Amino acid sequence: MSAERDVSGVTGRSDGWKPHGALAMRRRFMDRLATGLSLAATCVALLALCSILLTLLVRGLSGLSLVTFIHSTASPGMNGGLANAIAGSVIQTAVAILIGAPLGMLCGIYLSDYGRGWMASTTRFVSDMLLSAPSILIGLFIYQLIVVPTGHFSGFAGAVALAILALPIVVRTTEDMLGLVPTALREAGIGLGASKWRVIVFICLRAARTGVLTGILLAVARVAGETAPLLFTSLGNMDWSVSLAQPMASLPVTIYQYAGSAYDDWVQLAWTGALLVTLGVLAINILVRVGFGRKGA
Amino acid sequence: MSGSAVSGRVMPEGGVPGEAVAGKPAISVRNLDFYYGELKALRGISMEFPTRKVTGMIGPSGCGKSTLLRVLNRMYDLYPGQRATGEVIFDGRNIIAPGMDVNRLRARVGMVFQKPTPFPMSIYDNIAFGVKLHETPSRSEMEGRVEDVLRRVALWNEVKDRLKASATALSGGQQQRLCIARTIATRPEVVLLDEPTSALDPVSTARIEELLDELKKEFTIAIVTHNMQQAARCADQVAFFYLGELVEMDSTDRIFTAPRETRTQDYITGRFG
Amino acid sequence: MDGTSHAAGQAPEDGAGGRGGPVTPVSGAGGRRSFDGDGVFRALVTGSGIAVLALLGGIILVMVTGGMKAFATFGPGFLVSSVWNPVTQHYGALAPVFGTVVTSALGLLMAVPLAFGASFWLTQMAPARLSAVVGMAVQLLAAVPSIIFGMWGFFVIVPLMARYVQPTARHWFGHVPGLGALVQGAPFGTGLMTGGVILAVMVTPFITAVMCDVFASIPAVLKESAFGLGATRWEVMRNVILPWSRKAVVGSVVLGMGRAMGETMAVTFVIGNANRIGWSLFAPGNTIASLIALEFPESPSGSLKLSSLMALGTILMALSFLALAASRLMLGFSGRREGKR
Repeated sequence: MSAERDVSGVTGRSDGWKPHGALAMRRRFMDRLATGLSLAATCVALLALCSILLTLLVRGLSGLSLVTFIHSTASPGMNGGLANAIAGSVIQTAVAILIGAPLGMLCGIYLSDYGRGWMASTTRFVSDMLLSAPSILIGLFIYQLIVVPTGHFSGFAGAVALAILALPIVVRTTEDMLGLVPTALREAGIGLGASKWRVIVFICLRAARTGVLTGILLAVARVAGETAPLLFTSLGNMDWSVSLAQPMASLPVTIYQYAGSAYDDWVQLAWTGALLVTLGVLAINILVRVGFGRKGA
Repeated sequence: MSGSAVSGRVMPEGGVPGEAVAGKPAISVRNLDFYYGELKALRGISMEFPTRKVTGMIGPSGCGKSTLLRVLNRMYDLYPGQRATGEVIFDGRNIIAPGMDVNRLRARVGMVFQKPTPFPMSIYDNIAFGVKLHETPSRSEMEGRVEDVLRRVALWNEVKDRLKASATALSGGQQQRLCIARTIATRPEVVLLDEPTSALDPVSTARIEELLDELKKEFTIAIVTHNMQQAARCADQVAFFYLGELVEMDSTDRIFTAPRETRTQDYITGRFG
Repeated sequence: MDGTSHAAGQAPEDGAGGRGGPVTPVSGAGGRRSFDGDGVFRALVTGSGIAVLALLGGIILVMVTGGMKAFATFGPGFLVSSVWNPVTQHYGALAPVFGTVVTSALGLLMAVPLAFGASFWLTQMAPARLSAVVGMAVQLLAAVPSIIFGMWGFFVIVPLMARYVQPTARHWFGHVPGLGALVQGAPFGTGLMTGGVILAVMVTPFITAVMCDVFASIPAVLKESAFGLGATRWEVMRNVILPWSRKAVVGSVVLGMGRAMGETMAVTFVIGNANRIGWSLFAPGNTIASLIALEFPESPSGSLKLSSLMALGTILMALSFLALAASRLMLGFSGRREGKR
């Protein structure tokens, strides 16, 4: 076998460095091509982000003023603002987190420390599925569950729909973060004679609090921009209202209603609202990813 | 202590360590420094790897022996922040200089890793993969080549009936022999082995060591090992590294019977590391 | 698992409350000298786990019962009828299902190469620092609310499609037999293709994120072995990384499909909203989600129309849950978790 093999490496085998003609050329070409195409693909994604941000800034910034924050939406030409929509979004998001976050944390604790066997894996599976479930279905679900029985749309129904969307995000991060708490810490707690639940709540959860907070913030960012589930639950409200029992305005729904309207000042308001929502959501995401140095769910 | 002061054996020309064993060098390293970011991992290494001999590299963990191995085929290129300065001459060129065709280099300087790393494909394709990168053999040539290398690593009889089966189903020792076969199938001139038997059982280890004896008839071999007996059994010359420096390099006999440096002596007698 | 039996221990009067687990004294709790904290807590967390399961069950139940009237009225014909006529009270699901499938397929067709390219570049080629920054930017794209994509699509992409893309496509393919039918119609700018473009932009970051995780989790030695044979980065990707992660890569694509099918607001803005089935990719259409969003305001509670919308929702639920479940199975829902660290 070594007969056909040219003995090499002894002295300068100068042709050893020469690539083998066409094959090497083709390989180099393919590598360059793949490099170029993948860079181009990355650029397309970045271009889309830039285009979106630029469009929002150009169209939204001009309508931004103090009026935006202190006036509620009004008829065309009446110098309306977004105060009711902003308040509605804040209230519904806050209530949604108040409902979804504790439940999600409990479920996360269940999955990381209590769940065993098929039931735990099923729960994890279902929660992961809900993470990407179409939000419009959640809207229809809450419409049938709360709006139809109570007979009217309400901010509360909207908040519950958003809570369902927030829930799986918190479940996922809580479980992940508790999983990172060193076993030694748990054992140390148990060794002191603390009961299991105290160890989890007062030691593990505290050790993982940054990560859990990250999950909650990501959940805020996700639900604050949701539109589809609110269309069927809190509906929207032209006037100032902070009652959870009444239909409630929200930024995304207002954007949806105004963006397609025929009135210039309404369209302008939609752009301004879009700018506000996007800046808020992206700010939270940047804070989470840079501040907490985490990739996110 | 600077690299050149060590052992007083590093002379400017013609006297670098490595000539203890006769034979022209396949690779000569001159004043090599290596950095992981800010950390200097190799200091002023100068040594030669004689053609078609086995050079054993020993030393405690973190002494830089694996790092040196990864310089010889520029594997460090894959990681940002790692860089080498100095000269590594192979076939008349400084391979750590910019502008080197690293793919061609790696075809000529093959490497076998600590853990067996079969690719997620069939046994046959594992070997054909590397060959096809550099050549366009016909089907029958390729089959001949696969059989040839598998015979040389003494794997042919064990796998000839299941060449199309997944390579990951082989045992650890078989996988490692497959990886060696895969490496020599591309017909390199130098084969680098990074603790190739540390993950294997004694029987598989013995087979790999036998294999080395065969392979050195054809290839220049550099092997990093933790196992002193292995170095003594397989190597023609042995280099001892400590804290990023080449402490001493000599023929295997002399290193194990009459080392010049007390640190070498301490290490091979098990006093540290 | 037996949450109820433990919950019984919650009663403070329960003398046997401290039996078994460690007894935790609660100071300042009046007469309650001790209670079974562990039992209560276990019941609580198990209950919340059950709640998540019940949630999915509830969603399925509510959607199916909500759509029952439509299913009962139209029978299996609901699935194959493309009529949507509120005047004659006749509704069928075929057109929106068609639109959902076509827009998702078009979106994936564009998103998969983009996501693969981006994750290839981010994990294998970009310098670490650049990769971190660009990777984050791509993930920010995933965080943009879908309604923003809708507005952007309506005001930026739709004019582009109307002015450049469709006329160009017609110019080149309009007279090619077979392909010609795909590009016919007036250049509105809205339509299935525009919906696909928006979906592609939306799901690309999702697929990219999962693919990056998958590609980054390949053992370094395996990659090094391939490089050690002299392979180029592309050859390593094609011959080693892709085969190694094939299943997870498919999973990431299916996950993207699940996302795309259920997307509502972005598509609603650009789909054109016409209940039709046809060859042209540039003609207006609708999807299940966009039809629900648009028709819901004119569908009083208890009406056949609302029930038809719920029935459509049921179909969407079945489609997307199937896709999501499949993707979770392929990604290995516990394996990926470990791979992340």
